[in-house]
Amino acid sequence: MSAPIKPGLAADALLALLAPLGGVRDEADRWGLTVRVDRERLRQALTLLRDGADARFDQLLDVCGIDYLSYPDWRDPRFAVSYPLKSTVFRHRLTLKVLVEEDDVAVPSVHDLYASANWAERECWDQVGIVFQGHPNLKRLLNHHEFVGHPLRKDYPCQKRQKLSVNDPMIDQLTAKLIALGYQVLEAPVATAGLPLTTHGPIKETVS
Amino acid sequence: MRVKKPDGEIVDLMTINIGPSHPATHGTLRVFAALDGETVAAAVGEMGYLHRGFEKMVEQGTYQMVLPFTDRLNYCSSMMNNIGFCKAAERMFGVELPERCVTLRVILLELSRMIDHLVCNGANLVDLGALTNFWYFFNPREQVYTIWERLCGARLTNTVTRIGGMYRDVYPGFEQEVLAVVTVIEDATTEVLGLIERNRIFIDRTRNVGTMDAAGAISAGWTGPCLRASGVDRDLRKDEPYYGYETYDFDTVIGTTGDTYDRVMVRMYEIRESAKIVRQAVARLKPGPLNCADARLSLPSRNQVYHDMEALINSFKLIYEGVRPPPGEMYDAIEAANGELGFLIVSDGGTNPYRIKVRPPCFTQWAAYPDMLTGSMVADVASSLGSINIIAGELDR
Repeated sequence: MSAPIKPGLAADALLALLAPLGGVRDEADRWGLTVRVDRERLRQALTLLRDGADARFDQLLDVCGIDYLSYPDWRDPRFAVSYPLKSTVFRHRLTLKVLVEEDDVAVPSVHDLYASANWAERECWDQVGIVFQGHPNLKRLLNHHEFVGHPLRKDYPCQKRQKLSVNDPMIDQLTAKLIALGYQVLEAPVATAGLPLTTHGPIKETVS
Repeated sequence: MRVKKPDGEIVDLMTINIGPSHPATHGTLRVFAALDGETVAAAVGEMGYLHRGFEKMVEQGTYQMVLPFTDRLNYCSSMMNNIGFCKAAERMFGVELPERCVTLRVILLELSRMIDHLVCNGANLVDLGALTNFWYFFNPREQVYTIWERLCGARLTNTVTRIGGMYRDVYPGFEQEVLAVVTVIEDATTEVLGLIERNRIFIDRTRNVGTMDAAGAISAGWTGPCLRASGVDRDLRKDEPYYGYETYDFDTVIGTTGDTYDRVMVRMYEIRESAKIVRQAVARLKPGPLNCADARLSLPSRNQVYHDMEALINSFKLIYEGVRPPPGEMYDAIEAANGELGFLIVSDGGTNPYRIKVRPPCFTQWAAYPDMLTGSMVADVASSLGSINIIAGELDR
C-alpha cells in the first residue's frame, strides 16, 4: 500500500467504463467528473468501479443528498444523491449521481459495498429524507430521533424550531450489535438512558 | 443485561454511557457500551450533540458569509477550513491565485496542521495520564495563536482568507516570528518524544490498542494521519498536489499496524515534516499582490472607486450582492490536519450557495470507532478516541 499513486484513467475512459450501465456525464460538473446512473444500476456501477482492475475506487467519501426544488429551470427529478469516490491506488476521482423522484424517494443502500456508506446514508436520510432500501439501521444521525422533517429540503423553513425531550436509549442498537457478535440475549435489557424528562418534573414551556 | 456469550458462558453485562459529557470525549460524543467486567463486549456511538445546521445556515447567506461558519468546523485548525472552502470556491471561478497568496496559505496550512497535531497528541496523552506533555505542547501552540491574533485579530475563529485572496497581508516581522515558533514547536516535539517514545507505560497502553487494518481503514473511508497510521501512504499533498506542494521537500509519515501508538507517532513526525515545509515556504515568500485581479472576486482599489464609474459599480455589487460562481456542482478537497476535508458545492449562479455539503474528515473515523472498541478495555476507550482526533465541530456541523 505504500507504493506511490499510479496515474488514473482519463474522464473518457471512466465514461466508457460506465457506458454499458447507462452512465452519462453530468454536464453540471464542469470541473471534475460526475456520472449519472439510474438507481437500478447504482449498486452495479459502484461494484464495477470498486472492483474494476483499472478503476479501484475503493473509498466512498460521502453520500450527499441534494434537493433541487428551488433550482432555477430544473426539469429533472427533485432529488439527487451524489457519491464522491476516490481510489487509494490510482490518481482519479469520480462522483456518481443518482436522480430520485419526489413520489418515490428511495435509493438502494450500499453499506455492504463500502463500510463508510452506513453512517453517511443515515446522515443523508436525516437531512434530506432519502430512504436507503436495505439499510440495517436507518436512524437519524445529526438530528434528535424525535425530530420531524428533513432540514436540508428546500421547503423546510430555516427558522423552524422543534421541542425534543427524550434522548435515544440506543439499547436496540447495542442489543443488535451483541447478537451480531454471537451473543445470545437472555434477559430483556433495561434502558439506562432514554427516560422521559417528565419523570424529573414537567417540561417548562419556554416563551419565545 | 444477561447474555450467553459465544463460548457458552452466561454473564451479566453492564451497560454504561461514556459521554456525551465526559472529560475524555473532549466534546460532546456518546458511546453506549456493554461491559463484561472491564472488557467492552460491544459499543455503539451517537453524535449530533453539537449539530448547528451548518449546511442549512450557509444557504441563507452569500459565499463570503460561509467563511466565518467554516471557522467553526475544526476549531483546532480554523484556517485550514477557511482555505479548504476558498480553494473549492476558487476552483469554480477558475482563478489563479498570486504567488504570494499561495505561499502564505501554505505557511498557514502547515502551521495549522502543526497546532492541530499538538492539541490532538497533547490531549490524547492527558487521557493516558501524561499531563506534562500537554503543557509542553500548549505553550508553543499559544505562541502560534499570538501570531494568528496579530495576523487577523482573532485567535480561534480566524476567517483569514477571502475567496480570491486573503483578508489582509502579514504584519512586519511575521516571517521571523513564524520561523521562531517553528523551532519552539520542534523542540517541544523532541522533548515529548523523549518522554514517550520508549516509555514502557505509554507503549503498553497504546501498542495493539484500537487497531485498524489497512483494508478496514480504506473501506471505512479513513483519510489523513489515521489512514497513514494503518500503513496506507496516501496524502493529497503528494497524490493530487495543490498550491505547489509537489515543489516542497517533505515526506509522508506512515505507520505499520494502525494502532493508537502509530496514530500518535504519525502525528508527531508529521509535525516535523510540516516544519520543513513552513521553512521552505517562508524562504519563498516574496513581495507581490495578494489578491487575484479578477473583478468578479476582488474589490477594486479605493482610488479607482472614487474616479471610475465601472469600478464604483463593481465595488458596490461585490459588497451588496457578493460573488457569483458559475452554475454547476463540484467536489473539491484539501488535506486537512485530520484527513480529507471536502466541500461539494452546488451553485445555481446566484449569490447564495444553493447547497454546500461538507465532508468532515473525522466523520468516517467516528463511524468506525464503536467497532474498534469491541474486545478492548474500558481504559482504552479514551486513549483510542483521542488518537482518532474527533472534533465535534466538524463532526456534527
